[in-house]
Amino acid sequence: MTTYGAGAMTNSIPEIRDADFLLVIGSNTSEAHPIIAMEMKRAVRRGAKLAVADPRAIWMTEIADWHLQIQPGSDVWLLNAMAHVILEEGLEDREFIERNTEGFESVAETVRRYSPEEAETVTGVPAATIREVARAYATTPKAGIYYTLGITEHTTGTDNVYALSNLVLMTGHLGQRSAGLNPLRGQNNVQGANDAGATPVFYPGYQSALDPGVRRKFAEAWGVPQSDSPGLNLNQMMKAMDDGSIRGLYLMGEDIVISEPNVAHVEEAMNHLDFVVVQDIFFNESCRFADVVLPAACFAEKDGVFTNSDRRVQRVRKAVDAPGEARADWEILVEVMRRAGLEQPDYPSPAEVYDEMAALAPKFSGISYQRIEAEGGLQWPVPTADSPSTEYLHKGGVLRGKGLFQAVEYRAPAECADPEYPLVLSTGRTLYHYNAGTQTRRSAGPQLKQPEAFVEVHPRTARRLGLDDGALVDVVTRRGRVRCRAMYSRQVAKRVLWMPFHFPEARTNYLTNDAGDAVTGTGEYKVCAARLEPVAEQGPAEQRFRGAFAAAGAD
Amino acid sequence: MSDPKSLLVIDGNEVDVRPGETILHAARRIGIDIPTLCHDDRLDPAAACRLCLVEVEGARLMQPACATRTSSNMVVRTAGGRVERNRRFILSLHLADTIQERAVCEDNGPSRLHEMAELHGTAGVWPAIESERAARPDDDNPYVAFRPDRCIACSLCTRYCDQVEAVSAITMAARGARTTVSTADRLALTDTTCELCGGCIDVCPTGAMSERPALVYGKPEAELEKVRSTCNFCGVGCQVDLNVDRAANHVVKVTSPPPGTTVNDGNLCVKGRFANDFIHHEDRLTTPLIRAEDGSLQPASWEEALARTVEGLARVKSEHGADALAFISSSRCTVEENYLIQKMARAAYGTHNVHQCAAT
Repeated sequence: MTTYGAGAMTNSIPEIRDADFLLVIGSNTSEAHPIIAMEMKRAVRRGAKLAVADPRAIWMTEIADWHLQIQPGSDVWLLNAMAHVILEEGLEDREFIERNTEGFESVAETVRRYSPEEAETVTGVPAATIREVARAYATTPKAGIYYTLGITEHTTGTDNVYALSNLVLMTGHLGQRSAGLNPLRGQNNVQGANDAGATPVFYPGYQSALDPGVRRKFAEAWGVPQSDSPGLNLNQMMKAMDDGSIRGLYLMGEDIVISEPNVAHVEEAMNHLDFVVVQDIFFNESCRFADVVLPAACFAEKDGVFTNSDRRVQRVRKAVDAPGEARADWEILVEVMRRAGLEQPDYPSPAEVYDEMAALAPKFSGISYQRIEAEGGLQWPVPTADSPSTEYLHKGGVLRGKGLFQAVEYRAPAECADPEYPLVLSTGRTLYHYNAGTQTRRSAGPQLKQPEAFVEVHPRTARRLGLDDGALVDVVTRRGRVRCRAMYSRQVAKRVLWMPFHFPEARTNYLTNDAGDAVTGTGEYKVCAARLEPVAEQGPAEQRFRGAFAAAGAD
Repeated sequence: MSDPKSLLVIDGNEVDVRPGETILHAARRIGIDIPTLCHDDRLDPAAACRLCLVEVEGARLMQPACATRTSSNMVVRTAGGRVERNRRFILSLHLADTIQERAVCEDNGPSRLHEMAELHGTAGVWPAIESERAARPDDDNPYVAFRPDRCIACSLCTRYCDQVEAVSAITMAARGARTTVSTADRLALTDTTCELCGGCIDVCPTGAMSERPALVYGKPEAELEKVRSTCNFCGVGCQVDLNVDRAANHVVKVTSPPPGTTVNDGNLCVKGRFANDFIHHEDRLTTPLIRAEDGSLQPASWEEALARTVEGLARVKSEHGADALAFISSSRCTVEENYLIQKMARAAYGTHNVHQCAAT
C-alpha cells in the first residue's frame, strides 16, 4: 500500500498459469488456497520454476525446484540477501528503477550488509540456494511473488512486505501480466471488508480517516459530524479492553475468544466489559461473554458481494431462507442504526447499500449489481460506469506515481527460543478445516480426515523427549498450555513445532504471542518460544482428551 | 507469431496455423464445435473416446481432433458421412458400456454422454457390454461414490486427479472390459493422497463418479435449482452453484460452473464443494438471546434484543464516551455489511474503533 499505492494482489489468479517463475513465501498454498495452487501446478507443468520459502516441507515443495526451509521469523534476512545478490551481480532493472521508483540508494546501502553467507547462519538456507533463487527471480521477466500470513503474522510483518516489495521494484517485475506482488487473502472477503472501510484508518475505498477533507466528505454524506480521534486496530482494541478504556463491544461474525493470539488474556479482558453484543450464525465461544446474541443468516441465505484476493467483486446470492428468526447481518445493522437515532434510507436490497458506498468511493464508483450481472465479477479499480475491469495493477506506471523503496533491517521475533522454551512454535491452517472450525468441524469429510487437534514435531525431537507418535503431549509457552496429539512429521525442522488453530478443545491461541506489528497491529501467530511436556499417564489423559473433543460440539 | 501465409482449411474455411494448436481449438476459433467426450481444456489430450475423429485429407485413418496439431495446407472435414457415422457408432458403443436409459443414468448428476447421443444420434441401441468392471469394496469415504456400471473408462477422472489436482490418488486399473478406476492397493479414498476435492465427480461424463450425500438425498440434479454464488471460505472467490431443492428449502450440493467461465476454471476444493453441512446444521442460532437476571442467556424477541442492544451501547457511550465502544466485523460477511458496520461505528456512534477480524 505505502510502497505502490494499492493494497491488493497486483495480478489476477488466471495469470498465474502463464508465469515462468514463482516465489511462494509464507503461503501453504495447496492447503490454504487449493484453487490457486492448481494454477501454480499448471504453471509448473508448463515448465515454470518454483521456489518455496517456508519453515515446513509443505506439499508445494514436492513440485518445487527449490525449498528454502527458513527459520521462522528470518524472512527479512533471506529477502535482503536475495536483494544483495541481485545488486552484487548487476541483475537489477536500472531503467525501471530510474523511471518508476524512489529511495533505491538507501536499500542498496542496507542490503550490502546482508551477504548470503551470513544469511545462511540466520535463516538456515544455504547461501548457494539463495544466490540461485535470486538470479532466477531477477532474470525471469514473468516472475511473480505470492505470499500470505507467513509473511504478515509477525511483529516484523510490515518489514517483511517491504523487503518483498523492494525485490519487485529493483527487478521491475511489476505492471505486467504474471509478474507482481500478490498477497493471497485468507478469507472470502478480507479484501472487501478492507475496501468497505472496516478498518480504523480508512473510510471506504482507502480514503484516510486522518484526512480532515475526507472526514468532511463523509460527515456531509451521512449527515453526522465525524470524530477526529484516531481509531484503534484489533490488536489495540484487545489491549484497550484489558486496561478498561474499551467498555462496550459489538462482534459481527467473529469469534475473538478463539481467533486472537494469547486468548487467555482476551477472555480476561472480555470479563471487564460492561456490554457485549455477538451477532453470528452459531453459538460461538465469544457468546459466553455476551449480553445479547443476535442470530444471523449465512452466505447461502442472503444477497451481497464478496471481493476476492484479486480485487474481483462477485455476487453472493440468496439460495435458501435462514433458519428460524435469523436475519441477514445487513438488515440487523440497518435496524440497529435506526434505533440508535441515525435515520437510514429504506434499502430494498444490498444493491442499494453498494450503490451508496460506490458513490462515496471512486475506486468502485463504476461497479453496480447490474454490471456484475451483465459482465460477471469486476476487478477494481473501476472508477466510472464506462471503465473496464482491471486485470492487473500498475500497468504503464506505479499507481502512487513512484514505487517507494523501503530499507528494512532484520529484527528478531518478539520471542525467540531459549533454554526454558527451546523450540519455536508456528501455527496455521490445514486443507480440511477453516478458522475457528465453526463450519468445517460440522462436516463429515474434514472430521474424518482430521478429527483432532495435533502438533507436528520432528521425530528426532520427539524421541529425545520419549514421545511416541500419536501420544498426547502438552505444548507450553509463556502464555498457556494446550494438550493435543503429537504427530511425527518431517515437514518441520528439528527445533520447530507446528499447530493448526481450528480446534476449540485445544485452543492454539492460548499459546500464541499477541505482540503486534508496529504498523498493522497483526499478532505474531507465526513465531513464539515453546516446549513440549510429555503426558505421563496416557490412559486417563486419553479419556479426558476425547471427552473434551466431544464436549466442544464436534459431532 | 504465425506466418500469415500458413493456412489450413476446416470445412471449407481458411484458418491460420498457430504453433502447437490442435484441430479442435482451431475449429473452435471459427465457431465449429467438434463434439468430444474425454476432452477437457485443463488436461493434456488423451484421444481416448474417439468421438472427435475427423477426416484429414491424405490420411488413411480419421484423426482425433483433440490431439492432432494443425499444419500448413491441412484440409480437415468435421462433418459428412464418414465422420458422422463414426460419431454415432462411438456413442452407441459407449452407451452399451453404461446404463442406456437416460433417466436412470442421470439419477444423480447429468450425463454428457446421453446429451451427446441425443444431439448427434446413435447407431441404434446395442446389446450391453459384459463388463466386469469393479468398484473397491469398503471405501467408506463420505463424499465420492464410484458406480462402475456407469463407467466408460474415459479416464477423465484419473487424468484430472493427476494433472489438475496433482495428487494422483485414483488410477486406471486392470485391462480390457475389466478396466476400472481404482487406487493403489485398492485403498479407501480417505487412506490415499486424495484431498476430496471432488473434481472427479465434476468431470465424469456419465455419473459414474457421483456425490454420495446427494445420492442419499435422492433428487437428481435436473430437479434442483442452481443459484450462482461465491464460496465463503478462502480468498480465491470461487464461483459456486448452490443446488437447491426449493420445496424443502435445502442446499443439496455445491457444484462448480463449467471450466473456462469463472476464476476457478471449473475447480473446487474439499471445503467449497463439501463443507456445507453447516448451512442446515441443528446448532444454528434461530432466535435472539438476552442475558437474564440469573446470568443465563434466554431466548427473546427481536424487539427485546434490539432494544437491549441499542440501550447497552448508548449507556457505554454516555458513561465513557464514544471511543469506549469497539466494533469488530468479519471478513466473512459481505462488502455491504462491512460498509454498514463502519457506518454504524462512525456515524451512529461517533468512533473510528472499527476493524475487521483479519489483517491480511
